[in-house]
Amino acid sequence: MPDHPTSPASWAADLRARLASLRLSPAREAEIIEELSQHLDARYEELIATGVAHDEARRLALEELREPDTLAHSMRPLRQANVPPPITPGMRRRFAFADLWQDVRYAARVLRKQPGFTAAAVITLALGIGANTAIFSLINATLLQRLPVANRDRLVYVWRGNVGGVFPYPLYASLRDNNRVFDGFAVWGGITASLNADNVTDLVQGVIVTGNFFETLGVRPERGRLLSREDEATVGGHPVAVISHGLWQTRFAAQPDIIGHDILLNGHSFTIVGVTPPEFRGPQVGGQPGLYVPMMMQAIMRPPRAAYSGEMNPDLLNNKTNSWLFGVARLKPGITPEQARADLIPIEATYATTVGPGARATGVAVLPVDEGNPAQRQRMRMVALLLGGVVSAVLLIACANIANMLLARATARRRELAVRLALGASAGRLFRQLLTESVLLSLVGGLLGLGLAWAMARAVAAAPPPRGALPLAVEFAIDGRVLMFSFALSVLTGIIFGAIPARKATRPSMVPGLKDAAFDSAEQGRRVSLQKTLVVVEVALSMLLLIPAGLFVRSLQAARAIDPGVDVDRIVSAPLSINLLRYTSAQGREFYRQIIERAQRVPGVDAASVARVPILNGTSRMLGFLVEGQPGPEADFVFSEGGAITRSRNQINANVVSPGFFKTMGIPLTSGRDFGDQDSASSPRVVVINDATAKMHFGNANPLGARVSFRGQRGPWHEIVGVVGDSKYATLGEEGARMVFMPVAQNHETGMTLYVHTSIPPEAVVGSLRREIQALEPNLPVPDIATMSDTVATSLFAARLGAWLIALFGGLALLLAAIGVYGVLSFSIARRTREMGIRFALGAKVSQIFLLVIRDGMVLVGIGVTIGMTAGFIAAQSLASFLYGVSTSDLATFVVSTLVLLTVALVACMIPARRATGVDPIVALRYE
Amino acid sequence: MTAIDRRMLDRELKKGSAELIILSIVEPRPRHGYEISKLIEAQSSGQLKFHVASLYPLLYRLEERGWLHGKWVEKPGQRRRRFYSLTAEGRRVLARQRDTWKAFVDAMRLITGVDHA
Repeated sequence: MPDHPTSPASWAADLRARLASLRLSPAREAEIIEELSQHLDARYEELIATGVAHDEARRLALEELREPDTLAHSMRPLRQANVPPPITPGMRRRFAFADLWQDVRYAARVLRKQPGFTAAAVITLALGIGANTAIFSLINATLLQRLPVANRDRLVYVWRGNVGGVFPYPLYASLRDNNRVFDGFAVWGGITASLNADNVTDLVQGVIVTGNFFETLGVRPERGRLLSREDEATVGGHPVAVISHGLWQTRFAAQPDIIGHDILLNGHSFTIVGVTPPEFRGPQVGGQPGLYVPMMMQAIMRPPRAAYSGEMNPDLLNNKTNSWLFGVARLKPGITPEQARADLIPIEATYATTVGPGARATGVAVLPVDEGNPAQRQRMRMVALLLGGVVSAVLLIACANIANMLLARATARRRELAVRLALGASAGRLFRQLLTESVLLSLVGGLLGLGLAWAMARAVAAAPPPRGALPLAVEFAIDGRVLMFSFALSVLTGIIFGAIPARKATRPSMVPGLKDAAFDSAEQGRRVSLQKTLVVVEVALSMLLLIPAGLFVRSLQAARAIDPGVDVDRIVSAPLSINLLRYTSAQGREFYRQIIERAQRVPGVDAASVARVPILNGTSRMLGFLVEGQPGPEADFVFSEGGAITRSRNQINANVVSPGFFKTMGIPLTSGRDFGDQDSASSPRVVVINDATAKMHFGNANPLGARVSFRGQRGPWHEIVGVVGDSKYATLGEEGARMVFMPVAQNHETGMTLYVHTSIPPEAVVGSLRREIQALEPNLPVPDIATMSDTVATSLFAARLGAWLIALFGGLALLLAAIGVYGVLSFSIARRTREMGIRFALGAKVSQIFLLVIRDGMVLVGIGVTIGMTAGFIAAQSLASFLYGVSTSDLATFVVSTLVLLTVALVACMIPARRATGVDPIVALRYE
Repeated sequence: MTAIDRRMLDRELKKGSAELIILSIVEPRPRHGYEISKLIEAQSSGQLKFHVASLYPLLYRLEERGWLHGKWVEKPGQRRRRFYSLTAEGRRVLARQRDTWKAFVDAMRLITGVDHA
């Protein structure tokens, strides 16, 4: 055929065109073309032989193919049509993406074929990645949250003095009017208001804001309008309120006609004019004000003191010394916070000169809003660091576990890989293939983990922590950032646990791999030692987690065992915020007298009294303290919300209580007397101190009759008439808090809390108590009637949550490490079947083999425990601030954690050890 | 069998009997595609003719069903060719189809009165 123009190649183009639409595999297409070309050749030769011309012969031969689409049409139903291209991992290809897709499909197939391994790995990863995602969503909800407002980069917080410092209103007005750096400067103050709507009264948290507040922040209303400069015209003339989306949803059941609705705030009528959008949760991250009212309504909405009573001057707008406002401003374009600060400082200094002789300039601080509240962030950062560290360790253990499984599996696949290498696949390409398998595994695990985190977020939303139990209002949500995190973490995890096994697997010595001999001792030995290292790491990490878990549990136990010094099981408290209703002192006194009387009449109540500082809810009141005749500085009035003070001799924790308080609380009278009717506004001033105070200031001397002052040597002086037993003041964790009690009759206060002692289970009186309070004053919000045991539980909530979380993760780490020990030991037993057989054949006893295996495993565990304990000891030192009543080097914790880990590890070793003793020498020696 | 409409034969008979024809052709020994088409044409005295576009898809289908086995065979000095042989399954199918066909032809003869020449 050399001399005529037709050859198989010349049919190929025609055939290929007709086959193209079928998407045959390239190899199959070539085969068909070859076969059909031969047919056409033969036909062509036949025609030439009968004397047909070349061109005509070619045309006639091609007619065999009929219409251009006939061939494709008849072939389409065949299975060989539409086949995806074959996967030949390791083959060099030109397109990285095609390779990737190939790798993914191949990986999916490999993983599907080993459901057991895949399930174990995916579950392990889901737990690890899920825990990390959950903690990240917590961090996301706190540290990473940003104010959802327009052009945030130009917004700054403005503080007086240092960060966190507040302004009096006149200073704000001066800064606002004289600065040259702000496009807008607004202030807000926190308020607690009694809200009466539809005849139900409760307490809401809110803010009182200047008219330019929403404009400065750049917030738009969801409904109605927000407050504006028009709400700033006349003092006291703007009874309007904006509510948050949350309050609208929960308190007003998302009523569509909410705009124009009239409500009573602190007993005064207000009209709701707007609703803020759901994403706006107030001027500071972490707060969730439900209510916004105009600054001009300050006299009604924001009393000057927590213990405000009606005859005081309510006005703060002209008060130059009472500081209570937080500032937020929008910088003019191009102005830096430093320039703003430089502009404000002289204005503040000028203001200081107008206040009075004692006033000094304090300066101002200007900070971008994204930096938020540094003190709060610092605490959150510590929690995040702790929890993040714990869950990272869990994930690392999970990675080590899976790396181990992959190493073991590499043995099974060494033949497959050796063949591919022999056929010319590059090691790099195979490495990528194996890594794709790991990443695919961890992506599936990550998806499941995301599900776990989501379930957790749902659980938290369904059972929110009690109010006041956590420092921040946290809203968990799986948002885009959490999704991104969990995706990135999954990929990273896959690379971490996949890289070493993949590298090991793609560099086998090829010859033993190709031979059927499964074991090459040297290579196997290296692999096993790597596995053993991983087990040591796992054990060390889980030990590292068990120690804090133990410490937290011990700390919780210690906290539970603390005696609060009051009769926890028989007390009910009810806050009475009459300060919000602007009662005068006389009205207030009468109210308290009546409420105590009514409470005492409630069946089941055997004592009732009121106290200014609620017990064990974290708030405190500190006073300067001086015993007559003893040295002391000229200490003045100090007020704080930061918990009880326990150290300073010159300060003391104070409370103002009504007669009967000690009996109500179950605090024993050590000597002297309780307050009584004889202690009135006109009689000599008296106080009661507790044992701790008596001990510190009087030693063994009798304190009764001595006099003390809260304002230094200038007095007034108060006579000590009684000493009572010690009890907890602000928190359970405090120790030896020194206290002084003053009678309410001589120190009128509003905003007291009612306490009753019951002879029956305290829950039973809650309803009647609420009815009595509301009957006496319908505008008084009483949302938080609580039993003392609930209060104690709330104060322990954060500790309990922490202990639970860390114990949970510690347990998870332990479980994963145990699986790791078990896996590696099982694998090494399988490898040593022959050795065991020989040992048995040579007369080894069952117990000897058993111990041999146990020893192998426990040596690894022992090394891990030692490393983990050392690291744990060092790490535990940083936990001191989280722990109650337990030392960071608590012996019991270290001993118990070690024992728990050793026991679990021993069990994990025993299963393979038992298997080893079951080896039949005959079978074992025939093995391979 | 004089006045048979070629088109009708093509369409009707080939549709029902093509498989039977091919299985019969390769029954004695393995054959390649061109040989199969030539044999069909010759043994039917030119009445039946399979084109490339219908023959090969049919062969591939029978192969996919496991009735035929296709195999590349190289002979010294020649291009390799694909030979199709009957598998055990193919042999059973052929026997069954022959019986069916025979019963069908008998029935047709009885009904139409067309006698075998």
